[in-house]
Amino acid sequence: MIEVNARRSRRTERVAVMGLRFAAGFVIIAMAALLIYLAFEGTKTFYVDRFPLWSFLFSPEFSPDANHPGAAVFIVGTIAVTVFAIAVGGPFGVAVGIFLAEIAPYRMTQILKPAIELMVGIPSVVYGWLGLTLLVPLIRTHTSSPSGFGLAAAGVVLSIMILPTVITLSEDAIRSLPYSLKEGSLALGATRWQTIIRVLVPSASSGIAVALILGIARAVGETLAIQMVIGNSTQFPKGVFGPTAALPTEIVTDMPGTTAGSLLEHALFSMAFLLLLIAMLLIVLVRFSLRRRA
Amino acid sequence: MSATTAEPAPVRGVAATGGVRVRKTADAIATVVLWAMASSIIVMLAAFIIYIGYLGWSALTPSFIFGVPKETTAGGGIGPEIYNSFYILILTLLFTTPIAVAAGVFLQEYARPGGFRSIVQFSAESLATVPSVVMGLFGLLVFVYTFHWKYTALGGALTLTVLNLPALLRVTQEALSSVPDSLREASMALGGTKWQTITRVVLPSAIGRLTTGIVLIAGRIFGETAALIFTAGLSVTANKPYDLNPFHTAETLAVHLWYTHSESVVPDVDRIGNGSALVLLIMVLAFNVGARLIGRALTKRFTGRSS
Repeated sequence: MIEVNARRSRRTERVAVMGLRFAAGFVIIAMAALLIYLAFEGTKTFYVDRFPLWSFLFSPEFSPDANHPGAAVFIVGTIAVTVFAIAVGGPFGVAVGIFLAEIAPYRMTQILKPAIELMVGIPSVVYGWLGLTLLVPLIRTHTSSPSGFGLAAAGVVLSIMILPTVITLSEDAIRSLPYSLKEGSLALGATRWQTIIRVLVPSASSGIAVALILGIARAVGETLAIQMVIGNSTQFPKGVFGPTAALPTEIVTDMPGTTAGSLLEHALFSMAFLLLLIAMLLIVLVRFSLRRRA
Repeated sequence: MSATTAEPAPVRGVAATGGVRVRKTADAIATVVLWAMASSIIVMLAAFIIYIGYLGWSALTPSFIFGVPKETTAGGGIGPEIYNSFYILILTLLFTTPIAVAAGVFLQEYARPGGFRSIVQFSAESLATVPSVVMGLFGLLVFVYTFHWKYTALGGALTLTVLNLPALLRVTQEALSSVPDSLREASMALGGTKWQTITRVVLPSAIGRLTTGIVLIAGRIFGETAALIFTAGLSVTANKPYDLNPFHTAETLAVHLWYTHSESVVPDVDRIGNGSALVLLIMVLAFNVGARLIGRALTKRFTGRSS
C-alpha cells in the first residue's frame, strides 16, 4: 500500500497538482463566464432596443409593451426592503453576535449555534410561506393595510433571514480580537458592558461592518421569500405597509411568461445584471473595510 | 443603603461615567437585554417549527407524500417533487464536491499567497454573493439558450453546482486548516510525498468536519428555489413522474411550493403549501441533525478522536 517507487510518486504528484490547479481555476472561469454572459445579455436593452440607460434607472413607468421598461420602482423597492431589513435585523444580529462572543455560557452557545445553522438551512420558500400565512394576515388585521402584502411584510421576513449572516460574522469579528484588549479594559475597572461597548465593538468595527455589508448582500438578492409577501405591484410603496416590488421579485414574477428576445426579457436581464453589479460592489466594499483594518 | 460606602473617586477618562452603582446597573441591564434578544431567536425558531408542523400535519397523508401532482383538480401529491429534489441534490453533490475539495486542497496545501491564489479567492467571494435568482438566469442563458437543453434536471444541477461551489470551497478550506501542521510534518518526516501526506493523513483527519459541512450544504441545495425555476423547470415529466433521464424537466419540492402558491389553479393550494412546507422543514431538520451525527462518527473512525 505504501508507495516506495520515488519516480512514480513524483509523477503522481505532478498529475495530481495539475488536477487541483484546474479545479481552482474552474472557480475563476465560472465567475468570469457569469459576468460576461450577464453583461452581454443585460445590456441588450440599451444597445439592441435602444432604450436609454438613464430612463431605465430613473423612470418609474414600467410598460415593456409600450417600449418603456423603466425600473425605478424596482430599484427603489429593493433599496426600501434592504434598508428596512438592515435597520431591524442589523442591530439585532450584531447584539446577538456580541452575546455569543462575550456573554453566552457554553451551554447557551451549544443551543444557539445549531439554531442559527438551522435558520440558514430553512428554505427561502418556507420563510415566504410563513410570511404569507402568519405575517400577512397579522398586518391585515392590525393595520390599515387592506391586503397585508407590502413593504413591511417583506422587510420583516428579510430582517429574520439576514440574522444568521450578521450574527455569525459579528461574533467572529469580536472573537478575533486579542484577549489583551479585554484584559486591559477590565483591569482598569470597566464593567463587562463598558468593555464591550467602548473597547471591543470599536476595535472590531471593520469586522462588524463586513457583517452588515454581507447582510445587505443577502437582503438585496433574496427573491422568493419576499416575492410571496411584497405584493408585486409596479408602484412606489405608499407608506411602510404599501405593496411594491423589488428587482429580484420582478424578475421571478415576469420571467416565466416572456418570449426570448423581447424587450421585457432584455429588461429583466438588465435588472439581473444590475443585481450582479450591486453584489460585486458590496464585495469590493468588504475588501475595502478589511484592508482598512490591516 | 448608606452613602458611606467607599466609592472610588470618579476617574476622568474613557471608562468613567457616573458612579460604580450606575455602571453596574447599566451592565446588568445590558446583560439582561442581550440574553432576552438571544433567547428570542430560539423561541422564534421553535414557534416557526411548531406553527409549520401545526399547519401541515393534517396534509401529510400517504396519498400526498407519494401521489402525483394534479394540474387543475384537488388531491394532488408531491411524490415526484420529493424524488426530483433528491435527484438534483445527488447530481449537484456529484459535480460540486470533487471540484470544491480539489480546489480547496490546492489553495490550502499548495498555492503560495498572492497571484493565482488571490484571484481564485476573490472569484469565490464574488460568486458567494451572487443572488440565486441571478445564478438561475445564468443557468438559463447557458443551458437553455446556448446548449438548447430546455428545462432539465442536469441544467438545474449544474447551476446549483456553481451556486454552491464557494460555500463548499470554504468548508473544505476550514476543514483543512483545522488539521494541525504537526501531522503533516510527521508524515513528511517519514518520507511521505506531499500528495501522500494529503491523501493519507490530511484528508482523513479533515473528513469529519468536511462531511458535516457537505451535509449542511446538501440541506440548502434541497430547499433551493430561485436558481431552479429557470433551469430545471416548473413541471414534472408527463406520464413518467419518476424519471431517471437527466435531460428531462424536473420540478423540485421547493419550486413546487412556490409555483403552486403563485401560478397554479388547483383549488387546494393551502393544503399543498402547508404539507410541502412541513416536508421541507422536516428534511432540513434531518440534514442538520444528520450532518452532526455523520461528522462525529467519521472523525472518530478516521482519527480515533471524539468531536
